[in-house]
Amino acid sequence: MNEGFSTALMLLAVGMITVFTILALIVIVGNILISLVNKFIPETKIRAVVKAATLGAIDPRKMAAIVSAVDIVTEGKAKVTSITKAE
Amino acid sequence: MEILRNLFEMTAFGSLFQSPETVLMLLIGGFLLYLGIVKGYEPLLLVPIGFGVILANSLGGEMGVVPENDEIMHMSLLEIAKNHGIMNLLYYSLIKTGLLPPIIFMGVGALTDFGPMLRNLKLAFFGAAAQIGIFSVLLGAIAVGFTLKEAASLGIIGGADGPTAIYTTIKLAPHLLGPIAIAAYSYMALVPVIIPFVVRLTTSKKELKINMKEQDKLYPSKKPIKNMKVMKILFPLMMGGIVAVLVPSAVPLVGMLLFGNLVKEIGSSTERLHKAASGGILNTATIFLGLTVGGTMTASAFLNTQTIMIIVGGFIAFCFSVAGGIYAVKVHNIFAKKKINPLIGATGLSAVPMASRVANEVALKHDPSNHLLQYAMASNISGVIGSAVAAGVLISFLS
Repeated sequence: MNEGFSTALMLLAVGMITVFTILALIVIVGNILISLVNKFIPETKIRAVVKAATLGAIDPRKMAAIVSAVDIVTEGKAKVTSITKAE
Repeated sequence: MEILRNLFEMTAFGSLFQSPETVLMLLIGGFLLYLGIVKGYEPLLLVPIGFGVILANSLGGEMGVVPENDEIMHMSLLEIAKNHGIMNLLYYSLIKTGLLPPIIFMGVGALTDFGPMLRNLKLAFFGAAAQIGIFSVLLGAIAVGFTLKEAASLGIIGGADGPTAIYTTIKLAPHLLGPIAIAAYSYMALVPVIIPFVVRLTTSKKELKINMKEQDKLYPSKKPIKNMKVMKILFPLMMGGIVAVLVPSAVPLVGMLLFGNLVKEIGSSTERLHKAASGGILNTATIFLGLTVGGTMTASAFLNTQTIMIIVGGFIAFCFSVAGGIYAVKVHNIFAKKKINPLIGATGLSAVPMASRVANEVALKHDPSNHLLQYAMASNISGVIGSAVAAGVLISFLS
């Protein structure tokens, strides 16, 4: 019983220290990672390029929705260059 | 008359009359089904477990899991299926090998969003503080006569994470799998009752009114994340690396969780893997886990004083974990300018996302503008990592 108790006490100390250490490391390294990502690979804002001719032909809210949808689906790889109504 | 006697022997009536404890187990199975179906408590787990209990105690059906012994441990899976039935085949191939909990963790990872944790990294510390319930109940369980391995399996209920509790128990005390799984999932289902109960005992109304968004306005974050998508891919990889180096025994759980999360965050190119991990595979694993855990709950294995002590000990572990997180926040608030609502600490145990939802509801009752779900999720998710790490420590020291 005494031996079991002392092992349990040791596990209490080791366990809590380990959990705190690992989560502390995750917090520290996570913050370093955020700094590095912010510095070297900040998100590039995708600006929609829409032909002037189409600007007047479409509701700005609809255009914003289309641009957002294209941005999400293509993960920012595509740009909207013109919008034409399908026949 | 002969025909009637043969018919009677063919049915289970005779055996049922001889073993009334089996009838009690059938009622327990029915009660678990009632909780899952009618009350809606963790139905995805309690329904398969409840049904597994009924199957295991259907006399003559050979669906009860045979306790581990020298003979069965030296049998091939084919021999186990032939001599002890399919439930034992499932148990010894899927549970005894420790296969299903990591598979479920992969599915949990595929459903987890690390975004809230990344936005509030500091709150991860409360996920560590809330593991105190695991280790304090380990001490208490030794005092009432459990062996170290059994006490560790009992304590892990305080992590409020079903797969972690099952995985630890498989490794350390497989004979207690049934009651520990039942206690873990029952208390997880009772999170909406347990968290408010502990919060009432440990916090003041003034503390519960701490508005997280107002605190953010007063003391804004110095590090806004400029590319969340890249961070969400790099973060699990980094976290996996840290856990793998420091607690390798936690890798089966944490590693699979992070893999599941990675295939989710990569996006469309791994969408099929994400769907498989979070859908079909997770659901299949859950069914077999539930049925086989229920299959371990035969009358001889379940109806004893240890089960009662596990149910009581599990509740204490749960309450201590919630209180541990709350007191960690209180200590933080003594020293820090930016105050944190103690409810964030209460979610430091796992039970994602129910604990966060409950904390949010309690906060809104005290201040209708205090939406703290995102903050609670940060400590809640770190609690999943914390309990898996705690399990890793216990397994590496005791197995």
